Amino acid sequence: MNGKCFEIGTIQAFLDGETTPEVSLRLTQHVSACDGCARLIASAEEENSFVFSTLERELDTLVPTQRLWSRINDSIAEEKSSAPFWQKVALYARLALANPSITAAAVVVLALGMFAAFVSLNDRVETTIVSSPQSIRPNDAAPVDGGTVEIATTADGSALPSRTDSKQSVTISSLSRKEIRDLAASVNARSSQREIKPVTADYRVAAVDSYLPGEESYVKTISDLKQNVDTQKDTVMTPSNRVSYERDMAVVNDSIKRMRDVVKTNPRNQAARQVLYSSYQDKIDLLNSVAQREELIASLR
Amino acid sequence: MFVPSKNLICLLLFLCLAGGLAADAVGQEKAPPKAPKSREIVPGPGAEPPPFVREDGVTSERSMSVDPNVAVKLCVSEGTLKINGWNRDEVRVFVKNGRKFGMKALEKSADTGKVNWLWVAHSPVGPPGPASECLAGDSIEIDAPIGTSFDLSGRAARTTVDSIKKIKVKIVEGVIMLRNITGGINAYTSQGDVMVENSGGAIALESTTGNIVAIEVSPGQIGDLLRAKTNSGAITLQKVEHRQIEASSISGSLLFDGKFLNGGIYNFRTSNGSIRLAIPAASSCTFKATYGFGSFNSEIPLKILTENDSPRARTVVATLGDGGAAVSVTTSSGSIAIRKTDAKP
Repeated sequence: MNGKCFEIGTIQAFLDGETTPEVSLRLTQHVSACDGCARLIASAEEENSFVFSTLERELDTLVPTQRLWSRINDSIAEEKSSAPFWQKVALYARLALANPSITAAAVVVLALGMFAAFVSLNDRVETTIVSSPQSIRPNDAAPVDGGTVEIATTADGSALPSRTDSKQSVTISSLSRKEIRDLAASVNARSSQREIKPVTADYRVAAVDSYLPGEESYVKTISDLKQNVDTQKDTVMTPSNRVSYERDMAVVNDSIKRMRDVVKTNPRNQAARQVLYSSYQDKIDLLNSVAQREELIASLR
Repeated sequence: MFVPSKNLICLLLFLCLAGGLAADAVGQEKAPPKAPKSREIVPGPGAEPPPFVREDGVTSERSMSVDPNVAVKLCVSEGTLKINGWNRDEVRVFVKNGRKFGMKALEKSADTGKVNWLWVAHSPVGPPGPASECLAGDSIEIDAPIGTSFDLSGRAARTTVDSIKKIKVKIVEGVIMLRNITGGINAYTSQGDVMVENSGGAIALESTTGNIVAIEVSPGQIGDLLRAKTNSGAITLQKVEHRQIEASSISGSLLFDGKFLNGGIYNFRTSNGSIRLAIPAASSCTFKATYGFGSFNSEIPLKILTENDSPRARTVVATLGDGGAAVSVTTSSGSIAIRKTDAKP
């Protein structure tokens, strides 16, 4: 060893590849002429090899390699490229809000956009009402209860005849834009409240179970008739007629239910089937009687 | 420090603007609809007929010479209607305390030159329409030739018809009484009884809530059908000579008192009402009774052909005599009974 020998820290740094090229060159030239430093380097290399061989698994796990770093960076880049649109928008908005002038401009643009959309929406509603007389006919819009407007609509939006106890109708063409807008608001509110179900409960019950031969046509006919009759029975029938109708309907429904149970228990019971079909026919006749009365009244009006 | 506060002010401005617009929109949606300025009054459909306006209130009478087999068409809005056949080729209409009316000849016979299609109607002053053409009054009497065919419709009218050839009547409310109609009947009333006596031809009787009674009726020709249908009322068929009968009631009872003719087809049906068949003991028919929760009994011994042994919904097929007529009786919860009468088959 001489006064030019390097310290153990520098030698260790050299072995770890952390010294500068100049230091590494000087150390290499010195070691080639200095036996003490050569032994010191050899000893340090042995210690390093022992330590690395002992802690190889831990070091491989804990210290990320360059390939691992590249994989991590690739994954981050991929995630960034596939990030949702709203996240990007939020990021841009966050960056934009940092600038006051951009923020002010965005506020103005948004306000103008909302105002334009609001005006456009109102115009479209008015146009729809005025230009589609088949969707709201004068007889469909009947003011009742002191000025409220009632328009019967189905779930799919098609107009139905309104309640017939109304005495007055609305002439759409004579309404102002504001009144038409109010009318449209009323229609929307009522159509969301009134949902006229096209399929009756009886039909649904029957549809759950399997139909008997020929039963389906009865059930469908009854469903169609009932849907029609339900909309007019309150107005067509007198109270006494209505009581009789409901009583007879209850009798027929009870008969259908009981006979269906019997047929379900014993499908080979032809008598039960005959009575069941007879009851279905009674129900059809009953529903037809309401339609017949309504037809006669209408012909004499 | 200045930049964040500026951003905050901008955000507050934006929120205020957006909130104001939203409140305006919500307020417009929830605002109650105003009553339309322009309204036109239209008559709405209803169960009750529109009130009869006795704008005339006069008693009047008109007559017209017609063909013996004239067809008369008329509508009655309100009143008691009586139609009588007579042996004169003339139609006379009398309205007491009612509307003024007119008689319009729609067609004349090519052979006799007389009116064979007549329309009796009110001469409306207001807007035209079927209702405004109807006769109305305290009582309406019509005399017509025995060979007259009537086509009658009405709202609230108690109708009595006697001794004409044929009638078709449809009224909303009121009793229909028909007698001595030889050429066929088609009668419907939504609310009221239908009674037919001593008549012939194809007969169709229908009521929604009323009873149906047919006594001493017979077919005009082979194949004429007697059909009686009511929902809540009872049906009584007595001394009926039709070979084809269909009678049905939902909650009313059904009574057949007569004979089953050889080759006839008889169908009786109720849902909840009882069915009574009063027939001679020496009748000849094949009897098929189907009942769900009801019962079946007979005073006349029957020869049982088939009978299904089921606790619910039974069918009994039996014969009486030679089994000439086919009788089908169906009820859901009513009872079926055969009673013996003293009449000769």
